[in-house]
This record gives sequence, structure tokens and C-alpha cells, in this order.
Amino acid sequence: MDISDLVDVQQGTLDPRIYEDEEIYQQELKNIFARCWLFLAHDSQLPNRGDYVTTYMGEDPVLVVRKRDGSVGVFMNQCRHRGMRLCRADAGTAKSFSCSYHGWTYDLSGNLVGVPSEDDAYHDEINKEEWGAIKVAKVDSYKGFIFATWDAEAPSLLDYIGDFRFYFDAFADRTEAGTELIGGAHRWVFPANWKFAAEQFCSDMYHAPISHASAVLALTPDDQDVDEEVFPMDGTKGRQFSSELGHGTGFFVESGDVLANIVGQKPADWFQGGNPEAIGRLGEARAERMRGAHATLFPNFSFLPGINTLRIWHPKGPNEMEVWAWTVVDKEAPADVKEAQRVGTGRTFSVAGLFEQDDGENWSEIQRVLRGHIAKKSSFNVQMGLGHETYEDPDFPGKINRVYCEMAARGFYKRWADMASGQSWDELMASVQKAAEASL
Amino acid sequence: MTAQLESSPVTSVSVELQHQIEQYLYQEARFLDERRFEEWLDLFSDDTYYWMPTRGVRYERELDKEFSRRDEVSHFDETKRGLEERVTRIRSGMAWAEEPPSRTRHMVHNVIIEPGDSPDELLVRCNILLYRGRLDRDVDIFVGCREDVLRQSEDADYGWLIARRSIYLDQTVILAKNMSIFF
Repeated sequence: MDISDLVDVQQGTLDPRIYEDEEIYQQELKNIFARCWLFLAHDSQLPNRGDYVTTYMGEDPVLVVRKRDGSVGVFMNQCRHRGMRLCRADAGTAKSFSCSYHGWTYDLSGNLVGVPSEDDAYHDEINKEEWGAIKVAKVDSYKGFIFATWDAEAPSLLDYIGDFRFYFDAFADRTEAGTELIGGAHRWVFPANWKFAAEQFCSDMYHAPISHASAVLALTPDDQDVDEEVFPMDGTKGRQFSSELGHGTGFFVESGDVLANIVGQKPADWFQGGNPEAIGRLGEARAERMRGAHATLFPNFSFLPGINTLRIWHPKGPNEMEVWAWTVVDKEAPADVKEAQRVGTGRTFSVAGLFEQDDGENWSEIQRVLRGHIAKKSSFNVQMGLGHETYEDPDFPGKINRVYCEMAARGFYKRWADMASGQSWDELMASVQKAAEASL
Repeated sequence: MTAQLESSPVTSVSVELQHQIEQYLYQEARFLDERRFEEWLDLFSDDTYYWMPTRGVRYERELDKEFSRRDEVSHFDETKRGLEERVTRIRSGMAWAEEPPSRTRHMVHNVIIEPGDSPDELLVRCNILLYRGRLDRDVDIFVGCREDVLRQSEDADYGWLIARRSIYLDQTVILAKNMSIFF
């Protein structure tokens, strides 16, 4: 099957087999997760030499390590001898990594430095330089967010982020001191394809007033008008942005005061105009008027600016994903703001979160329905806002639409189909260039 | 104050107090399983603190970092008002993770009672096994331990209020699509 036929962004339709087909999933692992820049960790998780976290790039386990020279190394969390997982903890501090099967030992850069009985068993004939852990092609970090790619041909991280950088900065670059990650992580599983989550955070404000009606109700003071103040139902009160690179975000520019109800008035004010440094760095529009925002950096790194949860949607087969979610705060935010964000994020967007509980219900039930033959043959509708994009918003650059829209979903799936079907980076980046020229 | 402390090699409380506290915990479990959430809320003191840390996989030498700290992120970090908001949500008829409702069975075991920090308080530890059935086929099983501070109160219907609850689950990655239930 030709994957590019499964996504029709002109008509706004999706073939639902993209969510459940094993063959397509293997193409994703090969052509997307083994090629894209993937978020791995925040700088503040690795303060000292030897600090490490383990994570996944697609389904491949990797070690992310603060090396002796202070830089970050990323290599397969797997012994080259017989393929055993090298490190079985989530995080810690180490001088080296020793395999629990036969004891091959790797240094903090992943070089093989020790082989038990090297003289006797191997007759001193093993070439240790040849058998170091498999290293990623490139590691880079942007404002403290560490990314890596397996693909030496991939564009630079900055080119990969592209026109989404303007919006990412509204989350990551509010102050000179940057952000820090609060300890502890929410990790849980959804019996559903990873794209449901990545796409929703990319493009879907539309679900919020319905899926999350109970949470909005529970958190809204009696004297507030939900439809006007919290989740305005007038889509012109917000914007959605879509990148040709597959990234997307949406937010309210008027009203949309959900943040105050989630984390409290003071943190909401801090994030929405109360921090002069942020206004100076980002300008008024981004510092004050990106409210209740959702965002995804293609393929599987999502965050909610203001609420300040960030997460990876790890693929675990076509029918399951594992979410790893953290809370970040501005390093120089007042202590009570940080505290309110720590508590507020966990109470709303986590496995027990007042909002996110209901997402699990939606995604897992879609996945279950897709077991059916007729279900697999019936296309999904992503037509919202089709043909109504503009490139001329005075405040927000790039391809813009109303906040209730599926333009960013179409962008996400276009990129997904182009990549999964095996387009080269030259082709992929040429289409970005072409779209940029067409928009002028 | 009738904490009825005794001294023996295995327990510091009387049979009567042990019985009373166990019955209290069973009654609490019953309120949850029968979805009598408002009555369940009444068992908590106004200054209660309900907390479940996150948990990671660590090697033995770093096992003290397994659970998130109080000042880090957690699964539950609730005041009384926070618990009330969760009940409001469930009762809204639009909390899709609980509509249709989950079916829960709270099992409480291994109840060990120790003196609390003040004369009117007890530290009560127990193991919990929580079964949840949802929709046609969903099953989740949560196992862990709870550490409660129970405060004696003449005003409380059941004689005691839960002044603090800490819940420690034996999963790191939570193998459920949500935790829309109480522990």
C-alpha cells in the first residue's frame, strides 16, 4: 500500500488504517522515528557528570548521558555483544555502564572499555573500538531541550524546528535564565496509536469544551461564564498555526482564561503579561496573548505553554503508546508561581489529571472500534477550516487560521505521509521552501 | 482521648482499637465502591492532604530517589477542596472517564496501627488492592500501600477523620489509561 494515498489534505480525509496497520507502523519506525529529531531530555535532568536518563527513540532504547567533557552523549541502551539492555533504571548517576549478561563495560560516551577475560577468552583479539554502543548521528539542544536524530542526513535542529521556533520560544525562551524541569515524571499507557495524542496537541482545541466539559465545570467559579471567558466558542478569538514541517499550535488571543482556573491567578498573570522580561524578549502578542495553548513539535513531542506540561508520546506498536510527561517552569519565576504550576499541572494533565483522564477514554475507544472491517474502510474527516488559512495575521506569522480548526492536523498528517512513504530530506525540505515562497 | 495504646512485641494497640480502625477503613472502602462520594468526603478533615507520588525505576544504591518528593510532581496532590472538585467532576455527567462509571472494589489488608504525632492521632498503614472494571472489558489492578494519619473527632460520624493520606503504588509506568478513581 502506498502510504501517501492514505492522507488526502486537499479533501481533508484520512484513511484510518494509518492508526492500526502493523506494516505502516514499521514504516513509521524506519522513516519517521529513525530520521526525525526527537526530544530526549531537559538539560536540568543531567546537572552533573555521569548523570543519565534512559528513554526511547521510537521503540529503540537510548541512554542520554552527561559526559566527562560536560556535553551530552546519546547511544543505544544495548550491549553490542548479545543485545542485552545495558541499563535498566530510568535515571541515575554512573561512572560506566556494565552489561548484566556477560559484563562488557562502556564508558560515559558509549565506548567499549572493558571485556571480561579479554586475554583468555578472546585471546586479546577483539577490536573494542569497533564494538562501542551504537551512537546517534547528531545530538543538539535548543534552549535546554535536548534532541537527537539517528539520521546523519537530517537538517540541523534549528532548520527542523523551522517556522515553529517563533511559537516554541513563547514556551522555552521567556527569560534569559530559561526553564528547569521539576523532578518526578508521569508515565502511563494508552491503548491507542501515538498519533491521536500528537495530533490532538498539534491541532485540536475543538475537543476541549466537550471532552473536558466536566473539568472546566469543576474548576470554574460559579460567577464565570465558561463560553465567554474560559473556552470562548467564538473561533475568531483564537489562532491556529500550522508548519509545513508538521508542527502546530493553537491558542486564544482574547478571553480564554482557563489558565487562572487551572494554576491560579498569580501564575496565570505571570505567564500572561505579568513578567516584563518575557514581554521584552517575545513582544506583547506572544507574551500575553497565547492563552490556553496546545502545541506539538513533529512527530511526538507536545506541550501546553502556561500549564507547562511537556510530554513524549512513545509509540509501542500501532495499538499502544506510553506517555512520559514532565512539568517545566521558568527558572526565575517566583517560588509561589513555580509551586502553583507544579501542583496545577499534575492535577489537570496527568494520568489522574482532571482533563487528561477523559482523553484516554476517547483515544482507546477509537482504537478499539478500528478493529472492525467496515471501520477500517471508512475515512475520517479533517476538513475543519479547509481553505480558510491566511498568511497575513498582524501578530502571528506563518500559516494561520481560526483556533477551532484542523489545518494543523492536515499539516501534521501531510508531513507524516511524506516522511513515512520515504521521501528524502531534500524532497521534504524543498516542499517547505516551496510553501514559504508561495506564501509571500 | 482513648487511643488505647498497649505494649506488646507485635502491636501497640488494643484489640478493640484495631477492630475499630479496621471497620472504619472497610466503611470507607464501601463508600467508594458504592459511589457514595459525598459521604466519603466527609471522612476527611478540612485540613487534609491526599498525596500519591510518582515512582521511577532506580538501582538499589539510589532507591531513596524512587518516589518523587513532596516538592516534585505527583499523581495526587490534593487538599479537601481538590478532592471536592474531583467529586464535582464525576457527578457532572460529563466526566467521560467515569461516565459510564467504573466499577471498583477496594480491598484493605495488613492494617498496622502506631501512635501518631499528637495524642489524638494515629498512624495507620495498610496494603491496598484496588480492582477496577470499566465498560465491557477494561480491567485495571492497582496494588500499593497507604499511610494515613487518623485524627479522633467527636464531631465526626465515624469517630475519626483522615487528616493525611499518602498512597504508594507498586507500578512505575501506570498500566491504565487514567486514574479517575480514588485510592
